[in-house]
Amino acid sequence: MTMPLTHLDLLEAESIYIFREAAAQFRRPVLLYSIGKDSTVLLHLARKAFYPARPPFPLLHVDTTWKFRDMIAFRDRTARELDLDLIVHINKDGIAAGIDPIDYPPSTYTDVMKTQGLRQALDLHGFDAAFGGARRDEEASRAKERVFSFRSEGHRWDPRKQRPEMWRLLNGRLGSGETARVFPLSNWTEKDVWRYIAREQLDVVPLYFAAERPTVERKGSLLVRDDDRMPLRLGETVVLRQVRFRTLGCWPLTAAIESQAADLTGVIEETLSASVSERQGRLIDHDEAGAMERKKQEGYF
Amino acid sequence: MTALAEVLDVADRPGPLPRRPSLVRAPATASPQHLAGSLHVLTCGSVDDGKSTLIGRLLWDAGALHTDQRQTLQRSAKTAAGTPDFSLLVDGLAAEREQGITIDIAWRYFDTSARRLVIIDSPGHEQYTRNMATGASHADVAILLVDARTGVKVQTRRHAAILGLMGVARVVLAVNKMDLADWSEARFRDIEAEFLTLAQRFGFSDAVTIPVSAVLGDNIAKRSTAMRWYAGPLLLEHLQQIPARQTKAGGDFRFPVQMVVRAGQDFRGLAGTIASGDIGIGYEVVDALSGARARVRRIVTMGRDLDHADAGRAVVLQLDTDIDVSRGAVLAAPDRMPTVVRSLDARLVWLSDQPFSPSRGYLLRTATDLVPVASIDIRAHLDLASLAERPSSTCAANDIALASIELGRRAVAELFSHQRETGSFVLIDAVTGASVAGGVVTAANSHESKRAQDAFQLTRSLLKQGVGADLANDAASEEELRRRANEVAILLRGAGVAVQLEDQWARGRIDAATVWLSVLMALSFGFVLAIVFGAL
Repeated sequence: MTMPLTHLDLLEAESIYIFREAAAQFRRPVLLYSIGKDSTVLLHLARKAFYPARPPFPLLHVDTTWKFRDMIAFRDRTARELDLDLIVHINKDGIAAGIDPIDYPPSTYTDVMKTQGLRQALDLHGFDAAFGGARRDEEASRAKERVFSFRSEGHRWDPRKQRPEMWRLLNGRLGSGETARVFPLSNWTEKDVWRYIAREQLDVVPLYFAAERPTVERKGSLLVRDDDRMPLRLGETVVLRQVRFRTLGCWPLTAAIESQAADLTGVIEETLSASVSERQGRLIDHDEAGAMERKKQEGYF
Repeated sequence: MTALAEVLDVADRPGPLPRRPSLVRAPATASPQHLAGSLHVLTCGSVDDGKSTLIGRLLWDAGALHTDQRQTLQRSAKTAAGTPDFSLLVDGLAAEREQGITIDIAWRYFDTSARRLVIIDSPGHEQYTRNMATGASHADVAILLVDARTGVKVQTRRHAAILGLMGVARVVLAVNKMDLADWSEARFRDIEAEFLTLAQRFGFSDAVTIPVSAVLGDNIAKRSTAMRWYAGPLLLEHLQQIPARQTKAGGDFRFPVQMVVRAGQDFRGLAGTIASGDIGIGYEVVDALSGARARVRRIVTMGRDLDHADAGRAVVLQLDTDIDVSRGAVLAAPDRMPTVVRSLDARLVWLSDQPFSPSRGYLLRTATDLVPVASIDIRAHLDLASLAERPSSTCAANDIALASIELGRRAVAELFSHQRETGSFVLIDAVTGASVAGGVVTAANSHESKRAQDAFQLTRSLLKQGVGADLANDAASEEELRRRANEVAILLRGAGVAVQLEDQWARGRIDAATVWLSVLMALSFGFVLAIVFGAL
């Protein structure tokens, strides 16, 4: 007899099942790789799903040019070590127009560099499905997202026209002009992601662990100044603080938390007793109520 | 109760009156590293009976909320009872917040000492019955909510019927808003009696009735002092003791093949998740459709090979001989084979806004197979108000219908009551790709009907000559040819031609008779295509 399956075993098996269903049903899928902890788990599960073969799809990173340097280094090392086919896409129109997170509101910047960048890349390569690491526990509108989530022409999401998903059956038959987003981690929580990283002994970007970093306090959030592109405002000073990140993104828009959790055990302990939800650290989400839902309708992942 | 109380920090309410809702709770106890499994809990019931509030209360009482969520809730508008509006936690979409209703199922996750609880919140309005059915298909147990003041309503009955249809056999009737019904035991017992009748009718093997007040928290995680007459389980306590989701380890071995995994020159494996039963090295397996047999040589997962694997595991099976199976096949043990059918009877819940049309092309997805449908006869509707069956030939959104479905080729299908995985299906509109209905198999028929015998036979050799002339002779091309065969069958059906795909693709040498037959068919096929394109 084998051991009874734990909830992590069940989640893993479900994610592998989803990867295989998508790979079998879509003609040209891609894995949207955003370097964070969720992407790390996503990639690991993709490798498990097709072992001993390699995942039958490339990785895509939509680079805004404002990611932490540690993230880019981690991305390139991962792709090299695991011998993965990595596509990096930058929205050149956005760069040419000088759109950055310093002078533009987060919503404009995100729309141009992330949402439009993603749409460009999907169209350019003709991908009909993209795997993402989104979880239903992240945010209220995500809680209603399907595992196979369809986008009409222009990559728009209509929450009222979602396909019902019954039992384990996943229907990947595309209508004309449609593409799909596939979320193998739908039923994982933040805790599960960390538990799994520990169980599988996965490497993550060092920014998740507490260390002394140059921080600036702005509007109640702690920002880590990753390079000198962000000018200090009147009265602001750079202070070394022991901080880490719960979620990673563009550094001027990602708040750090003060923490002593310098290794995986510490992070897991902190996460299991966390008192603040993780998206609190993402400045783009609190623009207004329903912000995420609107962004998704416009094609944000 | 003790273990639960420890984890949830549940204390009996101190004083009797005045009744004050307890809002301040100790922070969540750190949950354990590994949980023994998960339980999927569906919440349903008529609109306004307080589902979203109940879930919000469950999350709140179980300490599953983060501080920022608690603060948002504390700041938000209060309910008439002066408690936070818990429903704000659950109603996620802007349209829902505006209308104050829940239009789509929402998923919530929280951990107790032993297991993960997954709450699936489903909508109460009648026009969203399909969402409710969708939620029920994922549930191990359902909490059916009623308002103590109004009791069992038509919509309660509908939801009970849908639970029965979807095979949810564990149901908790939560009689809510007891605070607004004078905490009356008599009222509760009346509702309980009515529910037990429904439970019998729909075959709920485990039916429990609990009087609660979601707004005040009575009998959710803490025992009500206002209803001392109730000695049964608390809601959270009850959810805690229901056996965790476990696929039947003792059932018949079923392995729906998701895809073929090839690595290097030598490795060819079949990827899939064990739907039921178990498998070990050396076990004999058989492909139900072709009857081809082989033994398991390796059970591969990344990291290590397994000697043995139970239901629920995602693995790659390498067999000792390369039998020709690919996506859609179901492997089984030779002495416990699944039924292979040509037609089936089913109960359907119609999901699409587009009503059923006999002239549209449909596909049936079951396990990992995608089968063209030859015809569908809608025979009757289930009237959810009276629970009677009424003859009918139409089917539209939210209808529950009895139907006979003729398949365009042989496929594995089993009784839903026997095998969930191979006994449930989704109907897909071949053109739009939409999932138009979900269904469960109530009868599986292996004989060929008169209509199937008269149908145009689409053979492999025929397709290979024209539609598949560009394809090579390898396995990937073979899958592509099958895909094209399905599409051609759909087109022909759309043009009103009854069509059957050949049972087994012809292999190897083709004898003279087959060639002659093919020529004849090619002629008629060309004729049919002319009609199709003429019609477009």
